[in-house]
Formats: sequence, structure tokens, C-alpha cells
Amino acid sequence: MMGDWQVYWLFLQQGIASGLVTGSIYALLAIAIVIIFKTTDAPNFAAGEIFMAGAYIALYLVIFSQIAYVIAVPVTLGVTFILSALFYRVVLRRIGVSPAVAVNVVIATLGLSFVLKGIVRNTGFGDVPRSFPAVFGADTIQIGDAVLTMQDVAVFALALLAMVIFFVFFNYTRTGRAMRAVGMNPRAAALVGIDLHRTRMLIWGLSGLLSALAAILIAPKILMTADMGIVVILGFAAAIVGGFTSLPGAVVGGLIIGIVENLVGLFVSTRAIVVAPFIVIMLVLAVRPQGLFGGPTVIKKV
Amino acid sequence: MTRASYIVVAVLAGGLLVLLPLLGSGYIVYLANLMLVYIVLALGLNILIGETGQFGLAHVAFYGIGIYTTAILTGRFDVPFLVAAAAGVLLAGSIGLLLGYVSFRMRDIYLALSTFAFGEAMQWVYRSWDAVTNGPNGMRIKPAELFGARIATDHDAYPFILTATIIIIAATVWLRGSRLGRAFRAVRESEPAALAMGVDVRRAKVIAFALSAAYAGAAGGMFATFSSFIHPDSLGFTETILVVTMIVVGGLGSISGAIVGALVLGAVQELLRQAPSYQEIIYGVILILFMMYLPKGLAGAVGNLARRAG
Repeated sequence: MMGDWQVYWLFLQQGIASGLVTGSIYALLAIAIVIIFKTTDAPNFAAGEIFMAGAYIALYLVIFSQIAYVIAVPVTLGVTFILSALFYRVVLRRIGVSPAVAVNVVIATLGLSFVLKGIVRNTGFGDVPRSFPAVFGADTIQIGDAVLTMQDVAVFALALLAMVIFFVFFNYTRTGRAMRAVGMNPRAAALVGIDLHRTRMLIWGLSGLLSALAAILIAPKILMTADMGIVVILGFAAAIVGGFTSLPGAVVGGLIIGIVENLVGLFVSTRAIVVAPFIVIMLVLAVRPQGLFGGPTVIKKV
Repeated sequence: MTRASYIVVAVLAGGLLVLLPLLGSGYIVYLANLMLVYIVLALGLNILIGETGQFGLAHVAFYGIGIYTTAILTGRFDVPFLVAAAAGVLLAGSIGLLLGYVSFRMRDIYLALSTFAFGEAMQWVYRSWDAVTNGPNGMRIKPAELFGARIATDHDAYPFILTATIIIIAATVWLRGSRLGRAFRAVRESEPAALAMGVDVRRAKVIAFALSAAYAGAAGGMFATFSSFIHPDSLGFTETILVVTMIVVGGLGSISGAIVGALVLGAVQELLRQAPSYQEIIYGVILILFMMYLPKGLAGAVGNLARRAG
């Protein structure tokens, strides 16, 4: 009997440790999704493909052009920033971003997702699964009874660092505060002189950058295909669990989803991993329809 | 357009539909069958999203319930085809009712994402419940038998599918004008206002969910008449999205829009199969351009043209 409990205790520690690593990536993706939803009033269904495009740009630079990581990574982040910002500038500015046209915005982002997938499939390196080389070694370290690779630890540390930088930027810089203002009340933001279009364009760029960063961090852990954007569903799951408009919620949601996924894999079966996040979503929403950190549901007045 | 010209168009279209099996090859008739199924799927989703304003994204899950129920009942239990298809409609409708009850408090993005989650979970069930659905290998569907005749080809199935579609369109038109249809639109426009007018908002939403799911179940039964195989991969989110784009491109909340959207995007999908490597890029660009230049859909654009023509 004692033996069983020791195994469970080991599983629990390993599940939480591995869960925090993957969860931190989901948290980054969830932030990328939430900042767009808050300022554009529609979810970005191309989030997965922007993430995928980021991974492939990095792959192209590192493997096919043999460019060093220190240059390849910033270039990847910059290119994804520009691509996302351009999509806002060219397409969404024309469609508009009011709740009345939210469906149209969603369909346009779906269009973008098809375009990106098609482009990657046609470039010649999106047709076969590829793997991304790990930067940090496969040496392991032990925390409690859980075992993590150095790569895992580095991923977690970098994701955490990115989140800290992001929170500082969002709370203490002029541009970051303008972004928050647009998310809270676009009309009031416009009245105090914030350029709505420019701010939203920057938000889209920033969201693309965060997705690309998540992609570079997680790429060595997964197989790269043009359909790898499916991972971002877990970012959506994280955002929903956290309340979809709350940034702390996105982070907590990401960690919860990561941990639940790993625990289900260890305790139930690896086949059930796929469905675990959806069960978490349905459970959380059934009890709290606005998510964990979402404010009270606002009912529109007549 | 005048009333007379509407009638002319309707008669021409009707004639074409009746004559189609005589003129078209097997492939054309297969396409026609598929388009009719898409029309029913689009009409069902339009009730939920277009009429009631509830963003349910689990449509294809109910379509799957219709297909699997019909296939399993006819194939393993020798149940007569129409009974099996009716069972599929009922089962899809009841599960839609349940989903409606569970999610009626949710709105907008939460509803979209929790129904999306339900859809994904259902696809997982189709893929993993080997004993019932034959899992990832897909399942054969036994040729249907209707009124004593065995349906072996697309030509055999076409009259039945056409009749079913016409009945469903007629029912949809009737529903739109009924008290319930007006309640749906009231809920879409403003829930508090609908409540104040004495509309039971909760009941309307739940019924919209159940009806929409029942339509998808019926589409599943129709699919089972002419298709001999079903694979869980074809019951995923992409397929739901295809139906969503059909009703948005057609014009949300419009019956003719849903029909035209199903035909146009169904045709685009088939044409793009000729250029498989560019299929995704072209399809994506078409969606983006539609949203940029025809935001109200084809129904809206035609309405504008008609108004300008006076």
C-alpha cells in the first residue's frame, strides 16, 4: 500500500513540474489571445497559424540559413510582429472592430489561418514533419522527486521572463498603458488622444511576437508540421479558464491546463490528454460562466 | 425584382433540380447530394447563430450523431432506414437540448468556446469509441433501403435527398414566420427586451439549440443514404467552420443566404480540389476578401443591388 502512495506522490510532483513547463507556454499563448480579444472584440482564430508561422520562420533561419540563434530569434520575433500588424492594418482596419462585425473579423482571421497554412505547405519545408534542434542540453536536474531536462527549465525561465517584461511594459510604459486604455474603453481612450488604429495595430504585432516566442520555446518539444497550430487550442483553453479578458487569468489558466494535462497523462491515460482541457473548460464554465478571473457577466441594457 | 420574376427563377431552378439526374454524370449528382446536405446543415446553424444569435460551434458533432446513429441502426440492427434516420434526428436533438440547458447562461465567446470544446470532445468520442464507431478506421454505411427500393448509387438517393431538403426548407420558412421564430429574433436583438415582451428567453435558446442540432442530425441521415463510409476526421472543427462561413458569406439570419452560401462555398471547395496545393491559400483569400468587401454576405449585397435598381 505504501508503495502505491509513493508512486502517486512521485506522479503528482512530476505532473506539476512538467505541467508548469508546458503551462508557461500555454500562458504566453493565452496572453497573445487575450490582448487581441480585449482590443479587437473578437477572438483571433489565426493565433495557431501565426504561432506555426513563427516556428517555421525560426526553423528556416536556423537550419536552412545557418544563422546563429542570437540573430535568428530576434529576426523571427520582428518578422512575426510585422506580419501580424500588417494583417490588422490591411484587412481588419477595413472590416472594423465593433462587436457588430465580430463574426466578420473571426471569419477573416480564419481566412488568414488558411492562407498561412497553405503558404507553409507550399514552401517546400512544410510538407514533412520536422524537428527543431534544442538549444539547451538534455541533461536532467531533479527537483524534489521530479525530473526535468535543462531545456525544460530554460523554457520555463524564459517564458516567465517574457511575462515579467510584458507586464512591466503593459503597466508602466506609455504605449502599454495606451493599449490597456483601448481594452477598457476605446471611446474614452480616443477622447484622451490615443490613436486607436495605431494602438490596435501594435497590439496585433505584439500578440504575433508573443506567439512566435512561444513557438520557438516549444518547437524543440514537439514535431513541426503545418498543422502544429493545433497547440494553440490549449492557449484558448487557458484563456477561457482564466476568464478570457483577464491577463492574470490567462497565466493561471495556462498553468492549470498544463498541470491537468500532465496529471491526466500520468494518472489516467495518455489517450485522455487530448480531451482533458475541454473537460476542464466545461467544468469551469458550468460553475463560473465568466471563467475564473472574468468579472461579473455584464448584461447589456435595452 | 418583381414577384413574377421570383416565380420564374423558382420554376427554372426547380426544373433544373428535377432534370439534374438525367443530365449529370454520377459525380455531378454526388455533388448535388452533398450540396443539399450542406444546405440543411447551413439552415440548421442559421437558426442558432443567425436567428437566435447564439454562437454554437458544435454543429458537426450533431451531424456525426445523425450519421453514426443511422449507420449503426441500419447496419447492425436491421432497423428500417427511415426509423433509423428519425432516431438520429431525435438523438441529435435531445443532446442539443442538453447542451442548450448546460450552456444557456453563457454568452458570446464563452458559449462559442464551450460548444467548440463539446465538438472536439465528440470528435474524440467518434475516434476512440472503437466498439461503437469502429474508431479511427472509420465505418462502412450499409446501402439504405427506402420504400422497398435499395439505394445503391447517388442517382437513387437524389430524389429522396431533394424531397427531404425541400420539406426542410419549407419547414424553415414556416418556422421563421411563427411565434417561435419571432421569439428567436427577439432574443438575438436584445435579451432584456425580449424578456420584457414576455418571451421566455431560456426556453427560446434551448429550443434553438435542440432544433439546430436536429437539423444537423437530419443532414446526417441524408448523408447516410448516399455515402458508404464515414470517418471521424471529416467530423472536426474545420467542417463546422465551413458551415459557419457558408451562413456568413450567404448573409447571417437569411434563409436564402444560407442556401446560396452553402451552394457557393460548396462549389468553391469542389473547384479548388482541382488545385490542391493552392486550395488553402485561395480559400483563405476568398474568405478575407468577402469579409472586406461584402460584410453583409451575398444576401445583403443582392438586397442592396435590388434597392439601387429600384
